[in-house]
Amino acid sequence: MDNTHVFQKVLVANRGEIAIRIFRTLRELGAGAVAVYADADRASLHVAFADEAYRIESYLNADALVEAAQRAGAEAVHPGYGFLAENAAFARAVEAAGLAWIGPPPDAIELMGSKTRARSVMQAAGVPIIPGTTEPVGSVEELRRLGEEIGYPLLIKAAAGGGGKGMEAVESPQEAARAFEIARRQGESYFADSSVYVEKLIVEPRHVEVQVLADAHGNVIHLGERDCTIQRRHQKLVEETPSPAVSPELRERIGAIGIEAARAAAYRSAGTVEGLLTADGEYFFMEMNTRIQVEHTVTEEVTGIDLVREQVLIALGEPLSFAQEDVRFTGHAIECRINAEDAAHNFLPAPGLVTAYREPGGPGVRVDSGITAGSEVSGAYDPLIAKVIVNGVDREHARRRMLRALDEFVIEGPKTLIGFHKALLTHPCFAAGETCHGIVESEQLAACASELDGGAAVGATPGAVSPARSRERVREVEVDGRRFEVRLLEPEPPWAEVARRRRLRSRVGAGGAGRDALVSPMQGTVLAVAVAEGDEVEAGQVICIVEAMKMENEVHAHRSGTVTELSVSAGQAVTTGQVVCVVAGG
Amino acid sequence: MAATDDQQSTEAKLRQLEELRDEALHAGSDAAVQRRRDEGRLLARERAEGLCDPGSFVELDRYVRHREVEFGMSERRPYGDAVVTGYGTIFGRRVFVFSQDFTVFGGSLSEVFAEKICKVMDMALKYGCPVIGINDSGGARIQEGVVSLAGYAEIFWRNVQASGVIPQLSLVMGPCAGGAVYSPAMTDFVFMVEGSSYMFITGPDVVKTVTGEEVTFEELGGATTHASKSGVAHFVSPDEASCLEDARYLLSFLPQSNADRPAFAAPTDPPTREDVELDTLIPDNPNKPYDMHDVIRRVIDDGEFLEVNERFAENIVCGFARLGGHSIGVVGNQPRSLAGVLDIDASVKAARFVRTCDAFNIPLVTFVDVPGFLPGTAQEWGGIIRHGAKLLYAYAEATVPTLTVITRKASGGAYDVMSSKHIRADFNFAWPTAEVAVMGPEGAVNIVFRKELEEVADPEERRAELIADYKERFANPYTAAERGYVDDVIEPRRTRPVLIDALETSLTKREPRPRRKHGNIPL
Repeated sequence: MDNTHVFQKVLVANRGEIAIRIFRTLRELGAGAVAVYADADRASLHVAFADEAYRIESYLNADALVEAAQRAGAEAVHPGYGFLAENAAFARAVEAAGLAWIGPPPDAIELMGSKTRARSVMQAAGVPIIPGTTEPVGSVEELRRLGEEIGYPLLIKAAAGGGGKGMEAVESPQEAARAFEIARRQGESYFADSSVYVEKLIVEPRHVEVQVLADAHGNVIHLGERDCTIQRRHQKLVEETPSPAVSPELRERIGAIGIEAARAAAYRSAGTVEGLLTADGEYFFMEMNTRIQVEHTVTEEVTGIDLVREQVLIALGEPLSFAQEDVRFTGHAIECRINAEDAAHNFLPAPGLVTAYREPGGPGVRVDSGITAGSEVSGAYDPLIAKVIVNGVDREHARRRMLRALDEFVIEGPKTLIGFHKALLTHPCFAAGETCHGIVESEQLAACASELDGGAAVGATPGAVSPARSRERVREVEVDGRRFEVRLLEPEPPWAEVARRRRLRSRVGAGGAGRDALVSPMQGTVLAVAVAEGDEVEAGQVICIVEAMKMENEVHAHRSGTVTELSVSAGQAVTTGQVVCVVAGG
Repeated sequence: MAATDDQQSTEAKLRQLEELRDEALHAGSDAAVQRRRDEGRLLARERAEGLCDPGSFVELDRYVRHREVEFGMSERRPYGDAVVTGYGTIFGRRVFVFSQDFTVFGGSLSEVFAEKICKVMDMALKYGCPVIGINDSGGARIQEGVVSLAGYAEIFWRNVQASGVIPQLSLVMGPCAGGAVYSPAMTDFVFMVEGSSYMFITGPDVVKTVTGEEVTFEELGGATTHASKSGVAHFVSPDEASCLEDARYLLSFLPQSNADRPAFAAPTDPPTREDVELDTLIPDNPNKPYDMHDVIRRVIDDGEFLEVNERFAENIVCGFARLGGHSIGVVGNQPRSLAGVLDIDASVKAARFVRTCDAFNIPLVTFVDVPGFLPGTAQEWGGIIRHGAKLLYAYAEATVPTLTVITRKASGGAYDVMSSKHIRADFNFAWPTAEVAVMGPEGAVNIVFRKELEEVADPEERRAELIADYKERFANPYTAAERGYVDDVIEPRRTRPVLIDALETSLTKREPRPRRKHGNIPL
């Protein structure tokens, strides 16, 4: 393959650790690495890591991304995960611009993007699916009828949902109406599609997924499973392979299901068939993720195959260079997602400045990270800042190696899940390879986590100075008689941060609002406002919903009274401490 | 390696140093430390470290111990005594710091305690750096008697020597009572923390005995009281961390000493920025108030205004800001409070602020909308004459660049006082809405035309006529502009660029003053 033509340049339409991860493979292939960045990411690591970088308004702006690729002279676009990775329109726009799309065919994306269609196609192809509807559910009555039919508990999912958004459990007919509404609303707000479907909720299942690779020549193979059972509110936290619950025979069986599913979708590129494994060894297809996944790394560690490299070669039209029987699984790999979140406070996003950073190393340790010392973790994006991946001869070896690596990992500034992972991995439940349901959210684990979370306390130092945020100044220059507007980024004066904080604080106290002012506890975007000016509210009543790092957080009235000076509206960005409204006492 | 028990070995000496340092670090008892923590307070050393840039604080005199033998004091001689002193940087600039430690002898002031403070004050003066004192003390070390009082006086004397030479800040973060209050009182700025600090000459118990008044600690001398009633506290912060941050922020506006200029930082807010909102800010009705803060925020860089004495004498606004990147002091009459009239408190507050700016080379920008001095027996008997004179004196004495913008009323003697051309303001501008006159139209007509109004058949109609005429002829900036008392009449929206231009013109100002020991400001 050494003399194969490879893309000259590839644009990665993503940020953070995954952009850097992809750049690394591109370097190995001899392809130029092109980054894009939004304003908030000017100083981010992925920008510095690339060969060239282009400013875009947003990672969600397909036109801007295609335009950047063209300006850069890139021949292909890799979407990473998240953002537009599973957006068929974007894939088509890339292809329409004459660029190669390093991902699955748009039709396959579209098919798998609709959970209901995916289920019908899979069902037709003989892939086992969870009992439930293949058509969207139109009303609460219909939902209750289904409850009678297939039995509670049920799970309502937004048809276009994913990653835990728009999923609601229904334990009994009484809960049907509320859950139905929430799932619909979330579907509408996240995916602009309020249709929902319903299936039987499998209690304490294992979340086991199969990695598949399919080329343009009809070859489809699987690379074994990943166990992603450890989740919090449907967000994966720890992934490993092999799954403690999968025997070689079972692997054969679910691998075959994965291959079957990929064929049914006319799939190409790397993809993941997600399914649920019951305690009895039953395996149900859930959905197919048509992208490289966050946890692809553990598969790479046990197979020695670079999945991003395979994606690039498949996009070039190369046939797979190995067959199913060539795939060997060696040892055990675990990945811990290091999110900037506070495990002790309900996993609240914890953006902030990274004041010190040191990665673990040594045998069997891999770190895929998007940050370094001095990086600013923004509240505007996913809280995942780094991943620690280890491999060992067996599960216990890998577990101990991970604990050792987590001990070595220093991230000071924002709170991270390092302490949480240490607490979880030392828990007997994890050591025994059990599902750990209920453990992840337990207070005991949270308390343990904050104790084990070494570095983070430093961020609270009152005198802490954040270095080198920059201010922008626009200058006009002439080069060879041509006029340019140049944006100069200059470090802001050291007191600017204090001035900002103080202004925020004085705004809170302004006009005698003081104690009556209700402030946003986090940085994020207002999703909905539940009250209007002049409303009487009880303490604890929901005032508005702030979405931070993709999580919906309710902001409650801190006292009873009348809502005045309501200053936020849906869609508006708010900062921590910003006044939402004043609740005036009677 | 068997010789470790040899006290003379280098290793043993290094170990001893480590032990001593650890002992000094834990001079306060665990119980006392825990009590502070339970109250949500930082420890003395944490405050000093939190005030300075991370990792920059260097401690001095940590092995100092008291020499008192009376009352069994020789039994307890903790290292460092009850104060932490040293130096560090704030935004990269050197400062000296002392922080009283309540966990050791209740933070009471002993001879060596005072010596430690005097040492850093002397150094600050010698090296031309600000000194910041963090006060948290139960008062004099009674066991030491007059020696303790002598210690206070040594500090007071140094406060005065340093006054106007280096910035002196006092952060009151706990009790500060009796004679001890006079050190903060003589420094440039006093910070207090809501709910956890108080200052008074005599406490509630003595007050009750002497005057019969019943009053709580908080009411008598808490942060809110001193912020709003007495004006003793220039800044009040909701918690200790904010207090430290506020002190840091304030220093960003001040120079290291009177021999320096304040730090300049290239502005991101364009110096040429105009603000059309200013053109509609002054209400058509001259009796309608507006908020002078709005004027100030729209003119200064990024709207960032650090107000001084925010809740005291609200009829005058004082504070620090940057204009075109230059640190400035802003004074503005506040029409929203008492119509912006000058009274005793407002005069004293602004006079002190003007002198602080003048002492530290900080140019002054004054926004004028003043109807005059507040009439009444309370004011006259309270001495508005000598207190008002302080503000006049302060402005007349100032040699820093002084810029004035008359937004609306500038009446009577108050016009002269508020940085007028005649007391040597550098640049005076007026908005077209300005009314520069001896008094308001109604009053003027009543006096000037008293005779005529007594004689005419319909005095009301005639009065209205005369008022309209007076307004047209005098209630404007042009009579003053005709004589050059204002340099230009400008559109409000252009205020920022015009002021920046004038400021940069006058920055090179040199104004020698007659030789004298010191002026005699009417205190």
